[in-house]
Amino acid sequence: MFFIPGFVVSLVTFPGVIVHEAAHLFFCKLFRLAVFDVCFFRVGNLAGYVIHETTDNFRALFFVGIGPFIINTLLCMVFCTAAFLPVWELKIDDPLAYFFYWLGLSIGMHAFPSSVDLTNIWTVAPDLAKKGNVLAIVSLPLVAVLHVLNFARVIWADLGYGIAVGILGPIAIFKTLART
Amino acid sequence: MREGTCSGCGLTAPIGSFYGISGKLYCEPCSWKEERTAAERGEKLEKISVVDGSVCARCKTRAEATGAADFPICKGVPLCPNCQQQIQNWPYPVWLKASLAGLLILLAVALVHGRKYFHAGRVMYAGERLVEQGKYKEAVPLLKEADGVAPQSDKASLLLAKAALRIGDVVTAQKALQAHDAGHYETSGDSQEVSALWNRATAALEKADKASDLEGQPGKAEEAEALMRQASAEYPEMAQLATAIPYFEAGSAFDRKDYDRFLAISEGIWKAQPDSANAAGQLAGALACKYAVSGDPSFRTRSEEMMGKAQQLSHGDHAAQQSEQEYAERLKYRMDTREIINKQEYDRRFRGGKETK
Repeated sequence: MFFIPGFVVSLVTFPGVIVHEAAHLFFCKLFRLAVFDVCFFRVGNLAGYVIHETTDNFRALFFVGIGPFIINTLLCMVFCTAAFLPVWELKIDDPLAYFFYWLGLSIGMHAFPSSVDLTNIWTVAPDLAKKGNVLAIVSLPLVAVLHVLNFARVIWADLGYGIAVGILGPIAIFKTLART
Repeated sequence: MREGTCSGCGLTAPIGSFYGISGKLYCEPCSWKEERTAAERGEKLEKISVVDGSVCARCKTRAEATGAADFPICKGVPLCPNCQQQIQNWPYPVWLKASLAGLLILLAVALVHGRKYFHAGRVMYAGERLVEQGKYKEAVPLLKEADGVAPQSDKASLLLAKAALRIGDVVTAQKALQAHDAGHYETSGDSQEVSALWNRATAALEKADKASDLEGQPGKAEEAEALMRQASAEYPEMAQLATAIPYFEAGSAFDRKDYDRFLAISEGIWKAQPDSANAAGQLAGALACKYAVSGDPSFRTRSEEMMGKAQQLSHGDHAAQQSEQEYAERLKYRMDTREIINKQEYDRRFRGGKETK
């Protein structure tokens, strides 16, 4: 595996960082959590952050933490779908398509929640799961997988995830459309 | 910023850095000490962070500057009215909203601009599905559309070539393959499959070409027939090869002077292809042979009728008309003299050895 400094990756894929933090902010506002500070992008070890109040509401905790995973994945799929055919299947040199593919992959690469967000959920979820909280039960395997993928970032799991969503998603969409 | 004094060590520092234990102030190290001591006694202390309400925790504005003694504690921290408003309803920055709007516009542009790609992709996937189901004939028009938009797509051109070769449409396959990077593909299962199909088809067509050449040579009709049979067996997808076999069979029968067989085959061809000028001409020739060997005028009459039909059917097709004219001349000679000679001999005798088409 080749090593590229994190800030270089962040610079090249900055739209993904911005979307990730915007997704955190969106869910904070949705669940009416106080937001103390927001940084959408900066050149540094932590490329962006949202500092918000802690909450006992597990739904809020879950969606604020996992929100970027949902939003970034969806946007990655949308933008990559717009560009998938000319770039991958039809091999047409269309600059706009390449721009959208870069945008989609950048967003997809930053879908994984941070370890802090995952730990926050992981700390609370087991007790709630025992009490039958469905969201907590669902969150456990999801958070576990995301934790592993987060560690696997050193072997470009984030890029792999972006590519997988950006290729498999559109293939599934177009194959389904072709059947209709 | 207010200051406080530690009840343990006497340290004076900002009050916000102290903890309250049993109504007294402690710095952080002394608070740990108190906790340890209490734990040794088996007690648990209630330890709270001291909040300095005189300074806004976010913007560091002093409360006295705003005319207030302390800022209210909001979400556990003292905040000035502006910051309270800000944290409760953090606004999306204008640039973020503008970027989102810009992206949506770009996305709309991409979707409109990419309509032809979506259509090409859709028909390509539909064509792929038909190919997987073995419905090659239905797949070809769809894949032609996709290949027309994206001739550089490996997938589109390989699928089209595959489907076309599977129905014996070598011309379409050749066009698709040549339009794609002059026939170069990355090695893949699909490209290997198409390559194998292409090699099989072209080998069969070479044999068919050779058979056509031989057919025109005296005494080579049987060899030509055998080659054409081989070509058809090697590439059965091309129906025209199988359709041509009876013509070659007829040629063989003519070479063997087996005119009954020649007539039977020609009747069969005419029955199968009632719109073909060639088939009509072939039957006219067989009937002329029969007249030549038997002298039965009914064969002559039928031969002339069939020649008339051949001329009618070739109407509008210049090449076919020329061919019929050439053939009619020879048939007339065959019936007038009742001598059966092949084209080469006729050309040698009456056309100064010049070959005609």
